[in-house]
Amino acid sequence: MFPWVYEFHWSFGHLIFLGLFFSVLVTVVVTVIQAMQKTRKATLLNNVEKIRWHEDFEDLPLEARICRHELTGEVKHRTCDNGFDCRTCRMHPQLQLKRKAEFLQNGDANVFGFFMPNDRMYHRGHTYVKQESERTFTIGMDDFGQRLIGNAENIELPEIGTRLKVNETACTIKKLGATLRILSPIDGEVIDRFYENGDWKIIVRSDNSSLATNHLLRDAEIRPWIMREMERLQIAFATNKVGATLADGGELVPDFHKHFPKADWDGILGHMFLEA
Amino acid sequence: MDKKLIPRGLQRTSFGNFLLWLFPWVALLSVGLYAIYLCLAEGLNHTNMDNRFAFGLWIYLDLTIIALGAGAFFTGFLLYILRRHELKSVINSAVVLGLICYSGAVGILMVDVGQPLRAWFTFWHPNVHSMLTEVTFCLTCYLIVLLIEYVPIVLKNRKLRQIPKFLVFEFQLHKLMPVFAGIGTFLSFFHQGSLGGLFGVLRGRPFAFREAFGIWPSTFFLFVLSAAAAGLSFVMLTTWLVQKITKKQLVKPEVFKFLGKISGIMLSVYILLKAIDTLVWINATSLSAGFPAFEFYARKSFGTWILFTEIVVLGMIPALLLTSRRMRERPKILLLAGLMACGGIMLNRFVMTIQTLALPTLPFDAFLSYSPSWEEIAAFLFVVAYGVILYSLTYRYSVIFPQERELQSPVPVQYETQPFSERVAEKFFSALTFFKAK
Repeated sequence: MFPWVYEFHWSFGHLIFLGLFFSVLVTVVVTVIQAMQKTRKATLLNNVEKIRWHEDFEDLPLEARICRHELTGEVKHRTCDNGFDCRTCRMHPQLQLKRKAEFLQNGDANVFGFFMPNDRMYHRGHTYVKQESERTFTIGMDDFGQRLIGNAENIELPEIGTRLKVNETACTIKKLGATLRILSPIDGEVIDRFYENGDWKIIVRSDNSSLATNHLLRDAEIRPWIMREMERLQIAFATNKVGATLADGGELVPDFHKHFPKADWDGILGHMFLEA
Repeated sequence: MDKKLIPRGLQRTSFGNFLLWLFPWVALLSVGLYAIYLCLAEGLNHTNMDNRFAFGLWIYLDLTIIALGAGAFFTGFLLYILRRHELKSVINSAVVLGLICYSGAVGILMVDVGQPLRAWFTFWHPNVHSMLTEVTFCLTCYLIVLLIEYVPIVLKNRKLRQIPKFLVFEFQLHKLMPVFAGIGTFLSFFHQGSLGGLFGVLRGRPFAFREAFGIWPSTFFLFVLSAAAAGLSFVMLTTWLVQKITKKQLVKPEVFKFLGKISGIMLSVYILLKAIDTLVWINATSLSAGFPAFEFYARKSFGTWILFTEIVVLGMIPALLLTSRRMRERPKILLLAGLMACGGIMLNRFVMTIQTLALPTLPFDAFLSYSPSWEEIAAFLFVVAYGVILYSLTYRYSVIFPQERELQSPVPVQYETQPFSERVAEKFFSALTFFKAK
């Protein structure tokens, strides 16, 4: 195997064979070391949450990754491949121009029985963002999420001064045996937080107010989005052998989970809150 | 009991049922372990092999499972190098199957050699002119590659994902998969080929000996092609089997058709070259060695039927079925053709190992017969049981089929994004255009 080992010859056959073998071995070792180094670097740079979202997003079923422009009809079919971050999407500005006037108008606050007021913007992970002043925003859970979860059994809110990033963990909620990561809808620094009677709010100072909320759903986008979410919920239940539920025209009752105690809530909540 | 370890949102049987499922396999594994212990502790006299019949059931099965496990390298090659994203839904399964096949083959080889503690000799003092050395080096390296490819699948486990370093490592390894797929393809090409070359260079065995292209006999290339064809069919069959056992749809039907199509193309190329190779062997190679080829088929047990079955029944017919789009549309025919393709390759490996050794080559040689001992059979069943257990554990605690969650939905959702009036208008105008065109 090596020049100093018995039976090694400086022949063409030995050099080619062992050369190829060592090349393969070195490539494998170097690649694994590279993966380890990148892991170390990502951990040191605190990129774990970003990677977690990337992985979760990749694992989402296609029906959960529908582009917001498909919801409003600017395109017939489009699956998001940018982690729901329209701020860096190349297609978003072009499709935004195609938006019809009716979709620029404000919708109703009552969306299929949910309270979704127009003074807020909504993240696909069921949080809302309300602008309080030029750079100050309030984050909370939207009515859809609230009705699904009800009062949280345990909630871990971020410390004041924590920097939140879009699609990374804003807070962690424990409910029905499931631990849920609630995704942050915007970038910014936590300046205050509240928790009262199961309702929570996080006050955030944003870095850049003009671009900070470009990726959030608003106005007339909310109705088709909620319709899709209702359908997704229906699918999640159908797979859990609960049977036919949520017939057209019905409203989601508060503390919805209480009516289906045997359902796989861990799976359903993970599915609805975009977590793998 | 183990609910926290099961991937979120995926349905798995209860822990008790899972243990019941594992029980017979663990029993089989134990019997196999005992047989292996006997062979290692008391010697290979527990087998029915001897100095003349040195390649028995184990080598035959090694060759077979290595061919069937080729689905791992070929699926990886198609997905990561040729970018056929349709195969994303079966790549994990292919890797697990590959790992089972290769680790099982290497394990059995260690028993077969009889001196596993001296296994390092072949690396330290390699005979670089030996096909077996090439096989040993490539098999070992590829097994390491498969283990690395298996790591991200294990790290997909729900509990392990919660550890940040594991999550990131899995992500980084996944990004580097094309490198491992490339290395796997390179190594597989050589070891699959060398396994074939091993028989093709046997000048003293005119039944197996073939003309060479450069340093490689034709069997080198035939083994590579046949393994690629059978490997994909095996991935297709095992996926179907897992679907039947779990009573769930795990991949889309299009994936089965695609696997069948590529397997059919590879099988067609292989069977064409195999037919040409057989004709050259009958008319030239065998004659030049002093043996009319049909003398090899004079015995009833290894008559010409075996050649006909290998090339026509389990070669040409499945190749035709798999390459026909109409036939691929029918799931039963697709699976039958895949089964036939795998059967054909298994028969080919049987012919190359068992028939080659059984046939006499010298005038005073007798026709040898061999039947495996219970220890040989038990050691083989050990590999089967080990494979089932490893696959079952991976399926239960990780995500082998990424589309599983999506495909569990019994309701195909029809999204309607356009308002009703617009849809009616669109249909009206398209009908108008149709009449105008008329």
